[in-house]
Amino acid sequence: MDPSVCHLGNSEGVHHQVSTKDRTIEDRRLVARASEGDVEAFAKLVRAHSSLVYRVSLRMLGNEYAQDASQEVWVRVWRNLKGFRSESAFSTWLYRITLNTCLSTRRREARRQKREYSVEEISYLPEPSGGDSDPEAAVLSTERREEMVAALRHVRAEHRVALVLRHMEGLSYAEIAEVLQVPEGTAKGWVSRGRAALLMALAQERGQESMGEGDAS
Amino acid sequence: MSAKHQEDAWAFLERVGSYVAGELEREDAREIERLILENPDYRRLADSYSRMLVMLSTLGGETVEAPSEIVGYAVRRAYVSAFLGQVQQLAHGLVGDYLGALAFYLGLRPVRLR
Repeated sequence: MDPSVCHLGNSEGVHHQVSTKDRTIEDRRLVARASEGDVEAFAKLVRAHSSLVYRVSLRMLGNEYAQDASQEVWVRVWRNLKGFRSESAFSTWLYRITLNTCLSTRRREARRQKREYSVEEISYLPEPSGGDSDPEAAVLSTERREEMVAALRHVRAEHRVALVLRHMEGLSYAEIAEVLQVPEGTAKGWVSRGRAALLMALAQERGQESMGEGDAS
Repeated sequence: MSAKHQEDAWAFLERVGSYVAGELEREDAREIERLILENPDYRRLADSYSRMLVMLSTLGGETVEAPSEIVGYAVRRAYVSAFLGQVQQLAHGLVGDYLGALAFYLGLRPVRLR
């Protein structure tokens, strides 16, 4: 991971890199120049933060839409640079634009396919197959990664956003609340509901998988 | 399943999730711990949560590099937009100057008396 890239995130989070004062100052300087039409300054901002935008898009939308969404994010950033208020960090503002772009992409996608799970269908995640009980080792398989991405798609948009920010981006509840512009309690509620919904969706995905295997044999 | 029952089931499911994530207050955490110890189904539920959170954080910890096309596209778009902005400004300036000169030539500019 590029050490020059600034990441939000608390000490319990996945991304332990603490946002540096230098990065923030540099970002503000670049934003000020870019908002006056300096494309070189904008290019530096894109290079420094493109991983963040792509990573969040990938987690929100999956492979299929992540690239288009990331490109759209940067077009929006360029258009709205003059509206950036330096009270918050540039990365907070960028998270917000990225998530809004992902949500509008997802709304379009959701119109095409709608499926929700009910709590009645709750079941438990089976142990990883092949006697491998080490969850970290199990998660490395492509199959499990795809399963997770597929299950995430069935979690309601705001819950999914909060879940991704908390458990994949490692943001604190205060940071999530700032990015999503909601009270901290709401952010906690969304994460909690998102966790439960994802667990159900995963159990369903696996249930359907094993049913499919049964049919096939 | 009634709406009330469904709501309660969700609330319990969420509490177990919060327990596994280490976000419950001490009293609440003890209560869930007790339930987990007593009921093997709840234990399995907590295990499932635990596996899911490990999966999420492992995926979250993976390095993701943005394809270079994204950076290229964003910078190209910015250059084009900046260029068009300058052309627009220039055109405004030129048209303004031209109209001013024409007005002066045609004697349409009001004469200011001193």
